[in-house]
Amino acid sequence: MIKILFASENAEDIARFSTIFSKNTYDFAVLSTQLQVLESVQIEMPDIIILDSSFNGAKQLTKQIKSLSDNNIIILYITNTPEPELLKLSNAFITKDMTDVLITSTVSVNLKTKNSLEKLSNSNKDLADSLYRLNALYSTSSNFAETLDKNKLISYMIEGLDKALSFSLTCTLSFCTEDEPVLLLNSLYEISDEILSAIKLRTILNYKNAFENPPYEIDEENLKVIKTVKYPGNRFTFSLFQYDNMFAPITLGENVFGCVEIFKDTSFSSDDATCFQTIARQAALPLKNATLYQEIKETNHKLEKLERLKSEFISIVSHELRTPLTSIKNSLDILKSGKCGDVTSNMEKFLDMAGRNVQRLSGIINDLLDLSKIEAGKMDFVFKDMNIHSVVDYVKSALSEVAKEHGLTLLAEETENLPDITADSQRLEQVLTNLVSNAIKFTPEGKNITIKTELINAADIKCHPYFEEDIKKLNGDYIMVSVIDEGIGIAEKDLLHAFDKFAQLENSLSRKVGGSGLGLPIAKQLLEAHQGTIWCDSTPDVGSAFHFAVPVAKVPAMN
Amino acid sequence: MKKILIVDDEQDIVESLKFVLEASDYTCYCAYNGEDGLKLAKEIMPDLIILDVMMPKINGYKISRLLKYDSKYKNIPILMVTARSQEEDKLIGEETGVDEYITKPFDLDEVVRKVDQYLGSQVEK
Repeated sequence: MIKILFASENAEDIARFSTIFSKNTYDFAVLSTQLQVLESVQIEMPDIIILDSSFNGAKQLTKQIKSLSDNNIIILYITNTPEPELLKLSNAFITKDMTDVLITSTVSVNLKTKNSLEKLSNSNKDLADSLYRLNALYSTSSNFAETLDKNKLISYMIEGLDKALSFSLTCTLSFCTEDEPVLLLNSLYEISDEILSAIKLRTILNYKNAFENPPYEIDEENLKVIKTVKYPGNRFTFSLFQYDNMFAPITLGENVFGCVEIFKDTSFSSDDATCFQTIARQAALPLKNATLYQEIKETNHKLEKLERLKSEFISIVSHELRTPLTSIKNSLDILKSGKCGDVTSNMEKFLDMAGRNVQRLSGIINDLLDLSKIEAGKMDFVFKDMNIHSVVDYVKSALSEVAKEHGLTLLAEETENLPDITADSQRLEQVLTNLVSNAIKFTPEGKNITIKTELINAADIKCHPYFEEDIKKLNGDYIMVSVIDEGIGIAEKDLLHAFDKFAQLENSLSRKVGGSGLGLPIAKQLLEAHQGTIWCDSTPDVGSAFHFAVPVAKVPAMN
Repeated sequence: MKKILIVDDEQDIVESLKFVLEASDYTCYCAYNGEDGLKLAKEIMPDLIILDVMMPKINGYKISRLLKYDSKYKNIPILMVTARSQEEDKLIGEETGVDEYITKPFDLDEVVRKVDQYLGSQVEK
């Protein structure tokens, strides 16, 4: 029924309007004092108010009605010359000489307007609600994104639920905030022990129903509770269980992080349900990430510890190996010196063999120690400005004889007047010695081994795609040293592993030749300490070329 | 004959050092731990001491410090035998008054040469 309020003091008009709105579709009331009208507007909430323009205090009354709600529709019944302001505040006008039909249609048009206005206002309100909820969801998900702490993630989830749904109570069963399952109660009011144990039972029951293979055995006794109460002055009663409620598991695939139930004294809408499920689902992914992160962290920690143990182990073992090796070497030296009696040529041959192998073993131990020192960051370097020529010279004179013994010729093709480098000459000698020794080992009799030096810009270095990454890190001018042999070469698939630790052990051919298999990885590390790099090229049965580059020393700017 | 004290818990090493040094006409006294080594040093007043770093009870550095800070013994040259060749070890050695380092595995001839150097120069005095 359409409620119409007619404010008039004129008996004739009252009679006429009563007749017009006498049909059943109208609930027609007539009031003749300002106070009555105001009261009725507030209590009865009429759909349409028809106001006589000569009504006592018409202007003030109109203002008051409009101030109660903008949605109140006032149709002004013009019986005098009304003030302009009164006209402005009214929604429509009717006059005495209008026909009955015209009056009722004016009323119904305005009624329609009112309904449309109300709908608009309602949908505006809905829109504002959705916007608010969306905002809550957004801030929750950005909270989720910023942490890998499971405790925080769970509390962000509850915070988000509160913002979006303003619950009376949430019961969150969490498997990730402590080592054991915990029931987190976030409540508006205080909860009595009786209700608490009822909530516990209910949560356990929910949990057992929700998961086929529950990750934890939970019973009322062992379930720890953490309670957060917003208004401890009030208490929940058992009517809490008559509240509207929603339940959701917090899971991602096989990972179960818990479940959450939420209570509210007013009923949840379907939007609320969607929002609730969204937040619970959204929480699962970061929780999974946090779990993975924790696992990675633990694994890393273990790996670091292992790496440290390995370094220590190598260092201790190497020291322990040196002592007996010293005794063996001493004994051999004494025997060979002839101080214990004459040495026959056969004896000498075998004493030499033993001596060579002691030397070899001691080389391996030194390599192991070097590598463990470098890896532990304990290698001391003495960097000085120096010329690569001295390094080449030293290695050439040290190994020329050895090369000759193998029927090889060691050549040097040096570029003259190369700029200085800042380097530890001993370490570079170690690298070059290693490369040349390798070349000697792998090159058949009668061939050449060449040591080449040149100045090169990093951009002009050509190398196998395997080493491009390393070369890309270089920038500016470098001294490049190459050791080129005519030996057996390295298969392409082995190139990449040439600088890996113990790579040689994989290769049965090189096992025959001997060595610790650590020379190249040590060389690589030594060059990295020089801000340089090492790489190689090879064609099987044609030969290999090992190159290393050390940056040219920075010349102090001239003033 | 010059007296040399060899202190090392590794008997084989003591044995070989003794052999080559005696072959070079030195008289050798041996101790197999730090405590005995220190006692023997004070007893026999050797002309030179070959000392191992890593020993049970009293290590080589401690012996070196005790002797070098005592005016009675501070002129005895000390050759330190070590399995390590790290700089920090040498620093400790300097502070404790070690005269010379021999790194394991060492060359026996080199040890004899070094001993000759120290004791030869003493003869010239």
